[in-house]
Amino acid sequence: MYVILVYDVNVARVAKVLKIARKYLHWVQNSVLEGELTEATFRKLKHELGQVIDVKEDSVLFYVLGNQRYTTRELLGVKKGGEEWIW
Amino acid sequence: MKRTLYLFRSGRLRRKENTLAVETEEQRRYFPVENVRDIFVFGEVDLNKEVLEFLCDNEILVHFFSYYGHYVGSFYPREHYNSGYMVLKQAEHYMDPAKRLNLARRFVEGALENILQVLRYYHHRGKDLSEYVAAIERFLKSALPSCQTIEELMAMEGNARSYYYESFNIILEDSPFRIEGRSKKPPTDPLNALISFGNTLVYVKVLSEIYKTHLDPRIGYLHATNFRRFTLNLDVAEVFKPILADRVLFTLVGRRMLSPGDFDRCGSAVFLSERGRRTLVEEFERKLQSTFHHRRLKRNVSYQTLLRLELYKLEKHLIGEEEYTPFVSRW
Repeated sequence: MYVILVYDVNVARVAKVLKIARKYLHWVQNSVLEGELTEATFRKLKHELGQVIDVKEDSVLFYVLGNQRYTTRELLGVKKGGEEWIW
Repeated sequence: MKRTLYLFRSGRLRRKENTLAVETEEQRRYFPVENVRDIFVFGEVDLNKEVLEFLCDNEILVHFFSYYGHYVGSFYPREHYNSGYMVLKQAEHYMDPAKRLNLARRFVEGALENILQVLRYYHHRGKDLSEYVAAIERFLKSALPSCQTIEELMAMEGNARSYYYESFNIILEDSPFRIEGRSKKPPTDPLNALISFGNTLVYVKVLSEIYKTHLDPRIGYLHATNFRRFTLNLDVAEVFKPILADRVLFTLVGRRMLSPGDFDRCGSAVFLSERGRRTLVEEFERKLQSTFHHRRLKRNVSYQTLLRLELYKLEKHLIGEEEYTPFVSRW
């Protein structure tokens, strides 16, 4: 599955969330990461994030796409990051 | 599915915040460790023990290539699928001449069948390859069964392949490249440079997959086991070279994605430039990720998965569960 992760958390935990998310997904721009995950790695990611966020205050959103076949992605402005395997 | 990271830039590969990061002078880039299967290093990359430990924990292989794109070696992390049983079975099939010949013959059969498939594919697309198709068919039907030793098998396979390489001139008749026989160490023309680099990628890919099974890469059957190198991956790669390396080569040259400027000359030797390598690697990955319907499994599988499935078939053969038959492409 293809996952887009968007987070809005208290500044005290931003770094922690980013650090965990980077183990699983590619950083796209501030507070946005995306990438291909398996069911299991997706669960691991959610579990790990669940450990650090404050559920009363923070918000982490996952947009889950079955595959990327019917999606397009458009960019306006600067490309800051993204998925690259040949670098 | 896990992916392969190809590093062409120079910098430092490190463990940073429990994930992988590459630092160059201008920037730091993170790669999600949970999604990395293996790393192919082409640039001048520094690394330390800390990152090796981390790669070992995550069972990630690192393959190193020289400035000219030759295989240098791999960081093969501590084996996690240790099976003395499988090693004994592998050795048993190596020590028994009849069993070894049988397996070696299967690999050559797979290689020839797939070569034939490639030739037929282009024959149906208007290239006159009937002469080559007939010749390879002869090798397959009469020469292969009559081989009684590994040496004969190797010689026969070599002859068939040199015949096959001649056909590249017909398949690629309107491209700027021509091949005058196979040359390696070093390759002397662009097509040979492409064949060599493509084959290297297949060898190394198969090696990565072997790490994820119980098989030991040191015991091969067609290629004699010796003191110097991994050989099982060379055997299995024989079956896939025509459908992976060669088909990608035809795509790249046929679609004019590579030009004479993508090759570097060094005396009589010809090597792919970095840009050329990037282009090939990109197309090669696209091929590996592409899927098709697997008749027996009744589901779609990628070529990447197919490499692993081939090793499972081999395991089954070694433990006496099911006779190994090489994968033969049908299109």
